[in-house]
Amino acid sequence: MEFVSIQKLSKSYAGVNALEDVNLEIREGELFALLGPSGCGKTTTMRCIAGFEEPTSGIIRIGGKDIRGIPAHRRNCGMVFQSYALFPHLTVFENVAYPLNLRRFYREGPVTKLGVLAGMISRRWTRTPPKIREKVEETLELVELNHLKDRLPNQLSGGQQQRVALARAIIMEPSLLLMDEPLSNLDKKLRGSMRKLICDLQRKLGITTIFVTHDQEEAMSMADRIAVMKEGRVVQTDTPSRLYSRPATTYVADFVGSSNLFQARVKVEEQSGNRLLSIGSGLDLVSAFTPDGGTAEVLIRPESFSVFPREGELSPPESKNCLEARVIRSTYLGSKVRYEMETKGTFFQVDVVYTDEKTLLGEGDPVWVTLEPEQVVVL
Amino acid sequence: MGHLGAGAGGGFVREGKVREKNKTWSGGLGILKIMILLFFMIFLILPLVSILLVSFVGEPINLPGSLVDPLIRSATLEKISEFSLVGYQNLWRDSRYLSALMNSLKLATGVSLCVTLLCLPMAYAFARTDMPFKKTFAALATVPLVMPTFISSYAFMLMFGQTGWVNHLWRALSGEGVLFEVQSMLGIILVQVFFFFPYALWPMVAAFRASDSALEEASRNLGAKGGITFLGVTLPLAGPGILSSMLLVFTISFSDFGTPIILAPKNLNLIVVEAYREIAGFFNWTGSAILTVVMVGVAALFFWLQRWVIRGKEYGTISGKPMGSGGMKGKGLNRFLSLYTLLVLLVPLLAVGSIFLSSIATTWGHDALPDGYTLKHYATIFSNSSGNILNSLILAMGALLLSVVIAVFVSWFVVRRGSVSLDWLSSIPLVVPGIALGIALIQTFNTPPLQLTGTALLLVIAYTIRRMPYMIRSTMGTMMAIRRDVEEASVSLGASPFMTMATVVGPLMLPGIIAGGILVFVTVIKETSISILMAPTDWAPMSLAVFQNLLRGEFYTASAMSIVIIVLVILLQNLAGKVTRDQLY
Repeated sequence: MEFVSIQKLSKSYAGVNALEDVNLEIREGELFALLGPSGCGKTTTMRCIAGFEEPTSGIIRIGGKDIRGIPAHRRNCGMVFQSYALFPHLTVFENVAYPLNLRRFYREGPVTKLGVLAGMISRRWTRTPPKIREKVEETLELVELNHLKDRLPNQLSGGQQQRVALARAIIMEPSLLLMDEPLSNLDKKLRGSMRKLICDLQRKLGITTIFVTHDQEEAMSMADRIAVMKEGRVVQTDTPSRLYSRPATTYVADFVGSSNLFQARVKVEEQSGNRLLSIGSGLDLVSAFTPDGGTAEVLIRPESFSVFPREGELSPPESKNCLEARVIRSTYLGSKVRYEMETKGTFFQVDVVYTDEKTLLGEGDPVWVTLEPEQVVVL
Repeated sequence: MGHLGAGAGGGFVREGKVREKNKTWSGGLGILKIMILLFFMIFLILPLVSILLVSFVGEPINLPGSLVDPLIRSATLEKISEFSLVGYQNLWRDSRYLSALMNSLKLATGVSLCVTLLCLPMAYAFARTDMPFKKTFAALATVPLVMPTFISSYAFMLMFGQTGWVNHLWRALSGEGVLFEVQSMLGIILVQVFFFFPYALWPMVAAFRASDSALEEASRNLGAKGGITFLGVTLPLAGPGILSSMLLVFTISFSDFGTPIILAPKNLNLIVVEAYREIAGFFNWTGSAILTVVMVGVAALFFWLQRWVIRGKEYGTISGKPMGSGGMKGKGLNRFLSLYTLLVLLVPLLAVGSIFLSSIATTWGHDALPDGYTLKHYATIFSNSSGNILNSLILAMGALLLSVVIAVFVSWFVVRRGSVSLDWLSSIPLVVPGIALGIALIQTFNTPPLQLTGTALLLVIAYTIRRMPYMIRSTMGTMMAIRRDVEEASVSLGASPFMTMATVVGPLMLPGIIAGGILVFVTVIKETSISILMAPTDWAPMSLAVFQNLLRGEFYTASAMSIVIIVLVILLQNLAGKVTRDQLY
């Protein structure tokens, strides 16, 4: 069921719309990504949920409750900030213990309250109760940081700080975990392991999580579902694979991966009555999604092509879409090779998995490329 | 997708009471802001308005009373209906007031011009040359600031008075009379010049640093000699910075009370002294009110002028690249500048030295050196005046605590909430001379319902208001250094705004709070005008004790007490410096 529901959310600053009519449904236990370029409103959406921004209009419900008017500190939304926002004057242990101490402060009578407050300001003044100590150590164990618990944040690396921030947010058992660009300040190697850690933890604890990112790879690899945003609006909400294979607009198609985009006209073959998509001069494609008529936007992912050498007596491969093409340029990208190709005056990109040096094509090499009708997507 | 229900669904309506615009999480701090605003309104704005009204009405009025009691209100309104400009017309006719204003303006003009001329070579030397002993000199240049001006003036009397040691030397060399009459306009100017110059020196150093040394090199490359380059290129570039520090010194000199109260002869009346005498000697409310209004007006004008001159030209902060000292490198010139700086710095040093000698002298005056040495003056002050020391410490501590609380929250409201009103209110004390603030407070709280005149509480409040801008500058700096998302993190983890302040913002601001607090403490101990005007007898602080000792002719105990003040100030200032340097995060 929907755990977080956002309806017609709008936010404007001094007449400029940062968010316009944002609608989102996020399911319980889901890892949900808000994806888009900077300035698209994804962080504003998150800050509205957290309570740091007041929406101009619209309704946000968490667990069925309208949270309008509830101050940020009572929303029980754990947040992990892009800059980690660790408390620089507290050790790793104290940072993580902070939410628990807070709860203790609010629960206790006036005398104990003072003691707790003193302890939160300086650890020299009181001792942490064993219950809190155990819980903190347990949580630090989850992020593999127990050995660093007495360090101050400025003595930690970026990745370690990130893990402290994560531990601090999950220890309060939030009903909703919010992460703002959680990996953007880390180097590429670290990002991989953090990604895994976040996903594992999220699955293990089952916390409904929303994270904001501008990195499509990050969103695709981590999220259960993704909302792609543009200029304050949600363009499409879907699973990563659906977003990739059936993007709703060229913007989404372009944002979530490399793409060959063409303008096509629907053409009906006279003898068979088959409908074809005609792209440019004499290049016709068979698609599983061809509309009845008019024009269409066509997307072909570079890796959907199959490539065959075209030389000597070899006959063309059997396929509904078989094109005679020529290699214009090739770029070696490690695990794959990207070719720029040309057929009948139309240029397109083809990605091929790299196997060995012998199969590499050179500039000017003639090839056949084939394409399944399912891979010719109409937007 | 579910369709929209009208209003809030699901029994959460009771929470709907809070619907502040944009500030869901500022919560209970609103009340605090109102309390701080009230504090400034009651103890700063109300007195200033009150004194302004008195200056027009010609008799004391009771504004706090008018706010609560209808009888007093109608009496006040009746008085206000007799509003007239007679008092101000008299200001022009009464030669005493007019000459007091003119003399004060002359003094401030003279001092600011002399300070500028005195500082030009030093500032250039600090900014642009490799003069020997630069670091030592920079440390010694703080000496003038540790002394309250009335003690500096007293030190000048020990040096240049009839029986002063300098004049003993003078007579030994040339035989006759005194070098100059210290209790005169010249004496006042000299004290202020030698003890206020650091206020101009460092801004001028910054101005010289900001002007590009490459331009000077260009000028010399084009064939201009060193001196021409200085006059034609360096000086005009540093111009606005120099002008601004000149105006600053003008305001400080104009408002200074300590020097003239000690050194002004009977026939030389200055506006601060005149206002003090009108209130403390004759209880002439109208006269003192008019003088107060004029004082605040002049100080405010020059303060505004100073801001206007440097507006948009943040010297010393804009230059991105660090510059080598550059400039002229002549050895002879460096030696000359070094000698010159030493001579200037020597005067305040000798003044401190004179006070110290006097504090351990049996008697001093027959000769250039004391007749004998003793520690009994210290014994005297520690047995008889320990109460004054204690009073000073308690009052300063009170002002410190009050300042800390107010400054922390004002900084937060100004930096995080962009509160213009608090920013503006808290900088008003910069333009109100101590004597003026004292007179305004005494007048306003002289009668019930808020009869506070003559209490230690009003004294502490006066100290707090007077030093508030400096405290706020210190806390605002650290506040700006705290990242906003650290605060938000605390809130997202479940802390109310109050808990966020108490457990995150407060501890992070601590170094700034401590440094600012110590400086408040120090300036309260040094404070002269407010103490002399407002301190009740049983709460007399050290500065008042020294002042009264001087009036009674107990010079040696006055010296010993002055040394205690100076030592305290030096110790605390070093502590503040250390705290600021040791900022951890």
